[in-house]
Amino acid sequence: MAKLRAVYYINQFYAGIGGEEMADTGLHIYEEKKGPALGIEPMWKGEMEVVKVLVCGDNFINTDEKFESILPQIKKEILEAQPDIFIAGPAFNAGRYGVACAKMCDYVKKELNIPSVTGMWWENPAVGMYVKDNYIISTTETASGMRKSLPKVAALALKIAKKEEIGPAYKEGYLPTGHRYNEYHEKTGARRVTELLLDKLYHRPYRTEVPLRGFEQVPPAEAVCSMEDVQIALITTGGLVPTGNPDKLKQAFAVSYGKYNMEGLKSLDKGVYESIHGGYDTTDASNDPHRLIPLDGMLELEKEKRIKAVFPYFYTTCGVGTNVETSKEMGSSIAEDLKNSGVRAAILTST
Amino acid sequence: MKMDKKLTRCYYDVKDVKFGSEMSLEDGVLTVSKETLKEEVRPLLKAVKSVDFEIVKPGENTRIIHLLDTLQPMIKVEGEGNQYSGYFGDPLMTGSGRTNLLSNLTVMESAALPWDESSASSGLLYPRDAILDMTGPIAGMTPFADTFNLVILYELNEGKSSIEYDNEIRNIGIKTASCLAKVTEGHKADREEVFSVDEVNSELPNVVLVWNSQNQGPYSNTFIYGHPIDNLVPTLIHPNEMMDGCVVSGNYVWPAFKVPTYLYVNSPILLELYKEHGKTINFRGVIFGRSHNPSNWHKTRCAQFAVKIAQYLEADGLIMAWEGGGNAAVDGMLTIQCAEKHGIKASTITFEFGGADGTEGILLVDDVPEADAVISGGSIEKPYTIPDMDRVVGGDVLRLNKESGGYFPPSNKALAFEQTTHFYLSGNQSGASRLFAEEY
Repeated sequence: MAKLRAVYYINQFYAGIGGEEMADTGLHIYEEKKGPALGIEPMWKGEMEVVKVLVCGDNFINTDEKFESILPQIKKEILEAQPDIFIAGPAFNAGRYGVACAKMCDYVKKELNIPSVTGMWWENPAVGMYVKDNYIISTTETASGMRKSLPKVAALALKIAKKEEIGPAYKEGYLPTGHRYNEYHEKTGARRVTELLLDKLYHRPYRTEVPLRGFEQVPPAEAVCSMEDVQIALITTGGLVPTGNPDKLKQAFAVSYGKYNMEGLKSLDKGVYESIHGGYDTTDASNDPHRLIPLDGMLELEKEKRIKAVFPYFYTTCGVGTNVETSKEMGSSIAEDLKNSGVRAAILTST
Repeated sequence: MKMDKKLTRCYYDVKDVKFGSEMSLEDGVLTVSKETLKEEVRPLLKAVKSVDFEIVKPGENTRIIHLLDTLQPMIKVEGEGNQYSGYFGDPLMTGSGRTNLLSNLTVMESAALPWDESSASSGLLYPRDAILDMTGPIAGMTPFADTFNLVILYELNEGKSSIEYDNEIRNIGIKTASCLAKVTEGHKADREEVFSVDEVNSELPNVVLVWNSQNQGPYSNTFIYGHPIDNLVPTLIHPNEMMDGCVVSGNYVWPAFKVPTYLYVNSPILLELYKEHGKTINFRGVIFGRSHNPSNWHKTRCAQFAVKIAQYLEADGLIMAWEGGGNAAVDGMLTIQCAEKHGIKASTITFEFGGADGTEGILLVDDVPEADAVISGGSIEKPYTIPDMDRVVGGDVLRLNKESGGYFPPSNKALAFEQTTHFYLSGNQSGASRLFAEEY
């Protein structure tokens, strides 16, 4: 049976060309194996071989125009080699080399439809940029861990080349890509939550199944100093809509928002508006829509000339189970619309 | 005085169920007399016009819809109080003596509660259609695809209030579950098991279960000894009390996140902690509170109270579990944070978001840095298509999307869902199922 074929990418240092002083060198192609490309082959026990090694200086490949200029040659060399897998690195915690490896893997996978794998330290800046769509083996922080890290790269590369099913991140040793799918575990949730606590209590290593992510900081807008000069808009995530919900906003997991005209209205009346929110008892809100969109109070302030005007439209959606990405999209769309309308301030009521 | 509280559970394994003229239990075959049950509940009927019953068996190509609560048929035969104490009697302390259980059998309530304003409040507080499939891709989300299920079908009188429907449906469910278990009297149990946390081994770490249940109004409620948990601050209950039914569910608003009474009585986490009691841990009790506390002030107080009780019990660790969605997650996370800050280690289980492939947005509504041991109950944002079914118990049409005027597809046909929110217990908040989201 013919051996499977791998094409390998390394930088100038691992190719033996030189260190930092040679980081500007361009693309080199080698038929003979070098560095980790030499070390990895015996790990495949004759099932796969490295048929070509691509080398480039870290500075060169990380300069966008230069990278663009060598892409046609990269494409030609890789396609000619007819590889079953493309491998880069491992790059450990080297920032430029990490980005180069991940960028190459991403390109080869997406543009050439050839599967790829690389490896690096989990804090390498390239991880955040490329991990979502690429297999990046979790390695040690420095190259002194090459002996530990390279077999993991070799194992996953061979598995992918053989078109075997790739298991979950912790089993295969790659950094979690963020992709998560429902499956049935061999143990119940109750058993696992108990075992997890026992591991903590008995000081054994433990692994959370749901990784926690911090909330990002949103810089506040500049303060409005003279309220009497600005038009103010009203926004709610409390689900207020014209009765009958004409735009079919969803009461939970909303993906859209509504914008409704209140020009000339003196109040928002019961029966004309209602709340469809799926996360609280909406009786009070539907009985008095001003609890969500305080048009009554705002018109008072307008009459007293404490604000310039109330913006004649209100914006609305349901904030319940609404995912953050969708919320961001809705938020920026509303903000853009407000800016274009000359609105300088808004009140958002949340429930 | 040292606590002396031992509960003997006597299990009567149900191997088959059929209808017949007399109630009986012979060699594991339960014969159910509809007439006997109807006679038993007849004095209760006011908001409910009539009841009927259907039997659903494991492996059947069957769907159950409009599903409300699920109960464990059981009867207290020795010791203080009744099964489901506080209902049909005084709220006497339970958890000691003997309780007979028909194991492998549930009682389910199915009713198409009215959607109109007078009986079902708007917004959150209306029963969303709950779907349970005995086979197919969503069967594993519920423990009840493996049990015999006696489904009570309720025909309702018009014009009653949500509270009237709700109370009566629950009372009929409890009455039915109790009446069924009477057939065990005079029979020898298949198995017996003694539950006690009296003995505390000073060599072992102390562990408590902290459980917060939903309480936001009619159809979104939980009852302790027969009374809603409005304004409840966390309190201490004995695991045996919970097993005897001191907590009853009346929560139908989000089928994915609810915890039915059956899973309080047979709480999977509680039973796991019992398995470890005396071996790896001392199980010291259940700290029971309400989730969905209305303000940050209430949430903080709830978390602090729970941890204070855990401290009294000299807890080294706790498992945090809750019923409900994002609001409840905040309560749970605050409790974990407070516990860890006071040197009590915590783990928890929750459903997650993340969109169809897991990469959209955040996974949890809320998290704290101290929550570093979180079990996945599966993602509710995964698309599923439920298949055609030969038989549907509960009604001919599903009732979906009330806020958009309603959508009523035939209940026996295949249907695609973007999320799992209508699938009974798919949020896996009690840890009953094996559903989880794997990380790729």
